[in-house]
Amino acid sequence: MTWQGLELVAWGIPWTLAVTAGAFLLGAALGVPLCAMHVSRSRVLHGLAVALIVALRSIPPIVWLFLLYFGVGSGYLKVGAVQAAVVALGLITAANMAEIYRGALRSIHPGQWDAAQALGLPVRSELVDVIVPQVFRVTLPSAATYIIGLLKDSAIASTIGVAEITYLANFLSRKQFNESLTIFAFAGMLYILISLPLAALARLADGRLRARVAQ
Amino acid sequence: MVRQAGAETIVKVSGLGKFFGAHKVLDGVDFGMGVGEVLAIIGPSGSGKSTLLRCLNQLEPHSEGVIDICGSRIAADAPLSRRDLNELRRRAGMVFQSFNLFPHMSVLRNVSLPQERVLGRKRAEADERSRALLDRVGLGAKADQYPARCSGGQQQRIAIARALALDPKIMLFDEPTSALDPEIGLEVLAVMQELAEGGMTMIVVTHEMHFAETVSDRVLLMAEGKILEEGPSVEVMRNPKTPRAQRFLQAVMNR
Repeated sequence: MTWQGLELVAWGIPWTLAVTAGAFLLGAALGVPLCAMHVSRSRVLHGLAVALIVALRSIPPIVWLFLLYFGVGSGYLKVGAVQAAVVALGLITAANMAEIYRGALRSIHPGQWDAAQALGLPVRSELVDVIVPQVFRVTLPSAATYIIGLLKDSAIASTIGVAEITYLANFLSRKQFNESLTIFAFAGMLYILISLPLAALARLADGRLRARVAQ
Repeated sequence: MVRQAGAETIVKVSGLGKFFGAHKVLDGVDFGMGVGEVLAIIGPSGSGKSTLLRCLNQLEPHSEGVIDICGSRIAADAPLSRRDLNELRRRAGMVFQSFNLFPHMSVLRNVSLPQERVLGRKRAEADERSRALLDRVGLGAKADQYPARCSGGQQQRIAIARALALDPKIMLFDEPTSALDPEIGLEVLAVMQELAEGGMTMIVVTHEMHFAETVSDRVLLMAEGKILEEGPSVEVMRNPKTPRAQRFLQAVMNR
């Protein structure tokens, strides 16, 4: 494998990161209202959230991607490949993050709500000052695990022509098919190299937060 | 000790009932108390003591009857708006069995945050008040630690300081020492006794019979969601009239 070959595949890193980060940010944001709907007292909202989460999680990511890119994108709206990948993975992430938030919410001791209410804190403060920071701490390790999973799932964006790591590796291996093994091994190594600092960062943040509370 | 109590009514409960599903946990509860009084609520587990206390500040909305507390009137069919509720809760401080300090905030923040959010105090002003209260409960040195680094007894005293920081008219204690070693519980009881002597109006749900007898002015003895006996502490504790109350007191006093 030539230096140019390495360089070409490495050019996929920004797109891999963009799809992963875009999908995660979208999902982390959309997961909040979805979780709120799920724990809502309204049966309609709750039912809607359950249906959405089931649909988003049971259909394979690649089917969602094709649905958005070839289905919606060809007929009704003009959807670019990167947008389609971010939205498809983002929606699935929203469903998973909603469940992660819900689990974290349930892990908060009911006494925390009692105390916030008994002190007469306004609803906004009850959530922003008391509940959300605790939910965030509980969520952090699961969210980090999920991002690393998402990083790998971003490879399916190659199927619709997003020029990320897997797409470029595939492209190169077609031209130099006798070097496919090295090319894909290199692609795999890039994923590892991105995952490692992510995991380390998550551990560091988690450790910091714990150390502060246990001071 | 005897206080000049009952001059002005601060709590009046009439016909209070509470259902959990089909199960009636409070049934026809009536009582009143005056400013400066210390009322102990005792009785076997599951008798509705804690539920009664939680109805007073509406952590549990009641199902029947009327509660007048600190100038708010709450009828079962006319619950308060969140704004009115928060106003009531500012005047009625509560201390829980499980302390319920906010674990992600320093001790100082735990006491200062509610003052800032509820009373609109400035940070510096709130911190000054917090430090004074923490000193008062003997924990000035813990201000910058996190709750996890404090013992149960210390956490409960911090929780008391947090509630006091909002200048409540009445303090509601929900089994404040039940989660503590008997020895550690004493330091919390000492703070409560000092509060009582300072004239604070208090309702204390408790299993601490000595505290009920010596610190409180009056005792309510509850069983099966009803008030069985009510009267001056020593009288209720030493000469219960009903067989059920006699049985309960026999069991808890002679151990």
